[in-house]
Amino acid sequence: MRVIVKLFATFRDGRFKVREFDFPEETCVLDVIQSLNITPEEIAICYRNGKDAKPDTVLHNDDTLALFPPVGGG
Amino acid sequence: MVFEGRYRRNKKTLTDEDQQKLANSAVAIVGCGGLGGHIAEQLARIGVGKLILFDGDRFEISNLNRQIMATELNIGQWKVEAAQERLKIVNSEIHVDAIKGWFREDTGPEHLQGVNLVCDALDSRETRVMLERVCHQMNLPLVYASIAGWYGQLGVSLPGDFSAQWLFGRGGNGVEKTWGNPAFTPGVLACLSVAETVKILIGRQPSLRNAWLQVDLLTMEFERFKIK
Repeated sequence: MRVIVKLFATFRDGRFKVREFDFPEETCVLDVIQSLNITPEEIAICYRNGKDAKPDTVLHNDDTLALFPPVGGG
Repeated sequence: MVFEGRYRRNKKTLTDEDQQKLANSAVAIVGCGGLGGHIAEQLARIGVGKLILFDGDRFEISNLNRQIMATELNIGQWKVEAAQERLKIVNSEIHVDAIKGWFREDTGPEHLQGVNLVCDALDSRETRVMLERVCHQMNLPLVYASIAGWYGQLGVSLPGDFSAQWLFGRGGNGVEKTWGNPAFTPGVLACLSVAETVKILIGRQPSLRNAWLQVDLLTMEFERFKIK
């Protein structure tokens, strides 16, 4: 199935901004982020189609996953 | 001394009535570093009548790269005291209070009496969440911003929204610990904070309620996301 992954801020460093992937059915968020060498602890916000998703959220064909790291400086 | 025409170039953007509302407003700026210094500078220039600055730090050399109130001459001085001195010669028609200490949940509320709005300029995600809690209890709007490297996030939390809790309450350490903050990121995010602040003070709708603006200065992308 087709999943679009969008990375934001420092997650783009050494990776990409947006990329289309072909994953097997039943792939969950954790599978995707592990394939990108990102741990759940590094993620502040994880959106699946514009709504909050958890590591065990199962993805569907044509889903868009957006990942944001925590930004806290002032 | 009154400087006639100080706000003349604001006209059309801000009416005389808007300008009067700003003059009658009090804003607390919590944190007086990269973001807070720029926010204070602009709110003073635009004529917000009273500013209350909070910060428990003194300037050090590593602040010179981005903190507008820091100069080579005031290393070691309380940040809020240096800001107060500068703002006095930028706009002597406004009142600036300087609180030398960290904003605390137990003692913070008494300093916010009479304030119309709070600007978050903190450098900790956890403290932002606490500040939002205090604002909620005191029925005060909060404009929050955070920065790291080329990136920033910005939004508005009105009482009951708990947007800062949503945005900053999860995830580990902020990536600013690794990426630091160059001069331009606090400058840009502070400008955006001030624009939202001014809108709220003059009675216009803020643009970033129940949403946040994701700022990427490396790609020059500004993207607005809804909080869900």
